Amino acid sequence: MGRFRFVLKRLLLTIPLLLGIVLLVFLVLKMTPGDPARQIVGLRASQAQLDQVRAQLGLNDPVVTQYVRYVGRLLHGDLGYSYKSLQPVSSSIAERLPVTLWLLGFGAALTMLISIPCAIISALRPNKAVDHVVRGLGLVGLTMPSFWVGIVLILLIALPTGWFPAGGFGDTPQEHLRSIVLPSITLAISIAPFQIRSLRASLISVRGSDYVATGRAMGLTESRLMRRFVLRNASPPTISILALNTGFLLFGAVVIETTFALPGIGQGIVLAARGRDLPAIQGYTLLFAVLVVAVYLLADIVTALLDPRVEIQA
Amino acid sequence: MSIVGDLALEAETVTPHVEAASERAKLPRRVWVGAAIVGAYVLVAIFAPLLAPYDPLAQAPLMSLANPSRAHLLGTDELGRDVFSRLIDATRIDLSVGMLGALLPAIVGTVLGAIGGYFGGWRDSMIMRVADVVQAFPTYILIIALVFVLGQGIGSILVAFTLLAWVAYARLIRGEILRIRELDYVQAARAAGLPSRRILSRHVLPNVIGQTLVYLPSDIVLATLGLAALSFLGLGIPLPTAEWGAMIAAGQPFIRDQWWLSTVPGLVVVGFGLGLSLIGEGVEEWTQL
Repeated sequence: MGRFRFVLKRLLLTIPLLLGIVLLVFLVLKMTPGDPARQIVGLRASQAQLDQVRAQLGLNDPVVTQYVRYVGRLLHGDLGYSYKSLQPVSSSIAERLPVTLWLLGFGAALTMLISIPCAIISALRPNKAVDHVVRGLGLVGLTMPSFWVGIVLILLIALPTGWFPAGGFGDTPQEHLRSIVLPSITLAISIAPFQIRSLRASLISVRGSDYVATGRAMGLTESRLMRRFVLRNASPPTISILALNTGFLLFGAVVIETTFALPGIGQGIVLAARGRDLPAIQGYTLLFAVLVVAVYLLADIVTALLDPRVEIQA
Repeated sequence: MSIVGDLALEAETVTPHVEAASERAKLPRRVWVGAAIVGAYVLVAIFAPLLAPYDPLAQAPLMSLANPSRAHLLGTDELGRDVFSRLIDATRIDLSVGMLGALLPAIVGTVLGAIGGYFGGWRDSMIMRVADVVQAFPTYILIIALVFVLGQGIGSILVAFTLLAWVAYARLIRGEILRIRELDYVQAARAAGLPSRRILSRHVLPNVIGQTLVYLPSDIVLATLGLAALSFLGLGIPLPTAEWGAMIAAGQPFIRDQWWLSTVPGLVVVGFGLGLSLIGEGVEEWTQL
């Protein structure tokens, strides 16, 4: 019962947050210099044409009216029309989102695959040689720009072997799979150091706790202790940390999609910004913000399910 | 009266630090290694015009994409500009935006956090509510949107960094001040009738500012990487100014034959980041001893 109420409360709390985010995005982009109507009709259009487009876009109404209308349109899934392609922004998002989800899915899985073993071997022997190697590599990983890692992988793997394309997403599922390998590795390399660092810290603190000492005194083997007790209790913080890193993960996707010419939402927001496409950048910014809110929400719910102590905070 | 009280209080606040410092272990050696690396970068940035063999913006279309040679240590780019000179020139913009991009949010965050923590009440709740909304956003995505609004360039990038990155510092300092506010020496200062602003600036902030300094090196790394990424995307420093991320982007189409155009600027970024990380890690470990 307690957990159910926690989840419900958490769900309700996201509504004002979402409204705040929409307001912020609306206001920030309202301050953009330049006349959107002029951008649509072009420099040579007459004043009459300009006025007509302004009226059509509702730019003459008070800002509050515009905001209310904007929220109303959002509720119908209408993000407006791109100035560049003249297509609905929502349809270009629908086309691009799957590519990014492929990248994020494979990237996050690979991150866990790298960081969990590294953190375990590091935490088993803190301040010994293995630990120093893992931490040193992590330090280097933190300072490498992800786009540069991507280019180095293209140079060292894609070009000499020809196994993976240097860019693009291909047309068939097999081609998609081949195209997503190097970008996912790049994403994992840039996120894993953060993940290893926090997982190592929480493993070390759990290993030092009384019930682990009790288990050890009762003769449980180290590997069984690790599997049954330590990892299980160190996993909720890891999930929260991965969730907190969502912002980084998404920005990583933006940069990596640009590096590998993947047609995802990350490339979408970059093209929108370069082309000064106001409705598109508004739509993408909102989409990214909503993704982050959704991930936080999901992480809180999963943590609540894994860790019975959570409801106390609620 | 107030000055005497002030001095007495300062003596009280300073002594424990001096004692602790003498008992403390020396700074780890890697802090000095890191400082030497960062110092070298700073020197290159200061003396860039003297060190660069060519004008970093001078184009020579006939000399485009030349291989490395004695005349051009790292060859030339697609417009015939000397890559080595551009790499040196870029140090100026990358280092200054990186450092200011970490320092400005730290200052703004410290001041806001101090105000919120010390005074409490409506000031505190207003600052913290704004912090909540800002923190709900993916920072760098919002930076793209802000730079879109403000226009490309150093100024708008710094404004965007500051508007979005102050939150962490504000929370940190606020928490520390909430802890320190009730300590005896602060109460004594208040009883002695010192004005709040003086208590805050002379007695409270000096005792919590160390917390900020520990995070500064890694934030400079993040700001430098952020600038490089924005410029790589074509949304940061406008062309033709030399900037590390923009140079990596410009070299990518030629990766097959002129691989050094993209890879070398990346190594330069990593070197700077490693220097700062060594300082950061070392100091963090040192403060925990």
